[in-house]
Amino acid sequence: MNEIQVTSGLLLAAALFMLGLIGVLIRRNIIFMLVCVEIMLNSAGLAFIVAGSKWTQPDGQVMFIFILTMAAAEVSVGLALILQIHHQLKTLDGDAANSMRG
Amino acid sequence: MEVSKINIIDVLPGIFLVTASLIAMLSIAIKRNHKLIFGLTTISLLGVFVYLLVYASNHRFTVEPLFIIDGFGTFITGLIVMSTLAISLLSYAYFEQREERKEEYYILLLLATLGSAILVISKHFISLFLGLEILSISLYSMVAYLRKRPRSDEAGIKYLILAAFSSAFLLFGMALVYSVSGSMNFSGIADYLSSANSLPLTMQAGFGLMIIGIGFKLGVVPFHMWTPDVYEGAPAPVTAFIATVSKGGMVVLLVRFFTQIDGFRFPVIVLSFTIIAIASMLIGNFLAIRQNNVKRILAYSSIAHMGYVLVAFLAGGRLGVEAVSFYLVAYFLTNIGAFGVVSILSDHDRDAEKIEDYQGLFWRHPKIATVFTAMLLSLAGIPLTAGFVGKFYLVASGVNTQLWLLVFVLAIGSVIGLFYYIKIIATMFDKSVGTETLALRPRLYLINLITLFVLSILMMFYGIYPQGLIERIQDFLK
Repeated sequence: MNEIQVTSGLLLAAALFMLGLIGVLIRRNIIFMLVCVEIMLNSAGLAFIVAGSKWTQPDGQVMFIFILTMAAAEVSVGLALILQIHHQLKTLDGDAANSMRG
Repeated sequence: MEVSKINIIDVLPGIFLVTASLIAMLSIAIKRNHKLIFGLTTISLLGVFVYLLVYASNHRFTVEPLFIIDGFGTFITGLIVMSTLAISLLSYAYFEQREERKEEYYILLLLATLGSAILVISKHFISLFLGLEILSISLYSMVAYLRKRPRSDEAGIKYLILAAFSSAFLLFGMALVYSVSGSMNFSGIADYLSSANSLPLTMQAGFGLMIIGIGFKLGVVPFHMWTPDVYEGAPAPVTAFIATVSKGGMVVLLVRFFTQIDGFRFPVIVLSFTIIAIASMLIGNFLAIRQNNVKRILAYSSIAHMGYVLVAFLAGGRLGVEAVSFYLVAYFLTNIGAFGVVSILSDHDRDAEKIEDYQGLFWRHPKIATVFTAMLLSLAGIPLTAGFVGKFYLVASGVNTQLWLLVFVLAIGSVIGLFYYIKIIATMFDKSVGTETLALRPRLYLINLITLFVLSILMMFYGIYPQGLIERIQDFLK
């Protein structure tokens, strides 16, 4: 893979990362926030794959599999918590679940 | 990347913790028994500690390419294990009076300890990431463990979203560093950097993102927003765990990573850490003054303390690592003690977090009030406590490398800090009672009192006679 392609791959990953970041910051629905965090994590995974292919090493893809695993584990806990919150507050608005205002 | 043969006995602590959590899980499937699980947790933690004392303390080895088990790592692993032991002793009484399903907590506690223990011995991005995530994912559920509490879900989801958010920053930073250096091994990155005169832009961006990610995990200003909320919403023993084991593991990783890659050669990195340290020391202490909730006060004080640790981190060198090690011991002891007092005074309905709960405590429970006073004085850094020696060590390492600005801010921060610690102490001695209806009715357990007593004795001992511990640390770092 030549240098230009690596750069554009990283740029694509960075664009995805920014999309996720903006999403987390402006969305108020907790599920959407979780989805946006997932986008950020997967963009990091993409960046790892691009970097791995630049050095022709499998490490980047290994890391991507770990990221996928971790994201799945995290979402499972997250969805359980979201169910609890919906049960208690009858809404998924992030501002409603902000009684401590830290 | 070549994988070495792994000597089973070298990685025994990890295997031990994993096995213990698996046995705990199976035993829950058969029959729920709080005492049994608690005993199992205690024994496995003690087992790991004995192993570290007997075997690891005079063995240095690496498990290529993932782990480096050196003196520093072994020392901190021992510290983490003993802290978890103290926290589990405090948790037993705490959960005994609350949740009907209390056994799973210990599985999560063991796994979180495993994550932190992996974090402190990692020398590769993959082991760093795995350790961090084992720690974080266990903590998400621990924070939200008391399901019936109104704020526990909120704290849990906040912690989850922000921790995942910061992991994404850390990962993207690691990917950028990897794309430039071609290695995920700390030593490989060091090799690349030693041949480079200046940092390429991608590398700078990578380090910047990593610093943001690590900053979130440490809860330093300006990435501290989650700290007070999570501290307030989580059960008191879990708060103690977050404040000590989780943050401590991250500090050690930071020291190891930036020492190995010799990141202090680059002014950009030093400048950003200096700004973070100064902001944490000042803003943490200033915001703590305005709080009326003891857990939140301790949260802001931990933000400031992370700023103090960064002074020794920036000082670097041998003395810096020694200072970080000693400070972590003092900080762990004191924070577990302080949150132990909060958890011992909590009753079935809520944690003892309002400052009114402490009004006249000295006349109701003189022993607990004395312990709490000692812990707060140690946090403030009053002489004859471990906190003072730790802070002295930090100042010494700062002066040694002429970081005058940081040392100056550290001194100012400590003075501001005195104000709110003394405020809590004054409340405890205030005899006027008016909030009798709000008073908590905790059940006191002997095991809690003994733990607190031992913690405060150790804290005073290291404050009066730090030489033994210092020699021990120097031994390990050799």
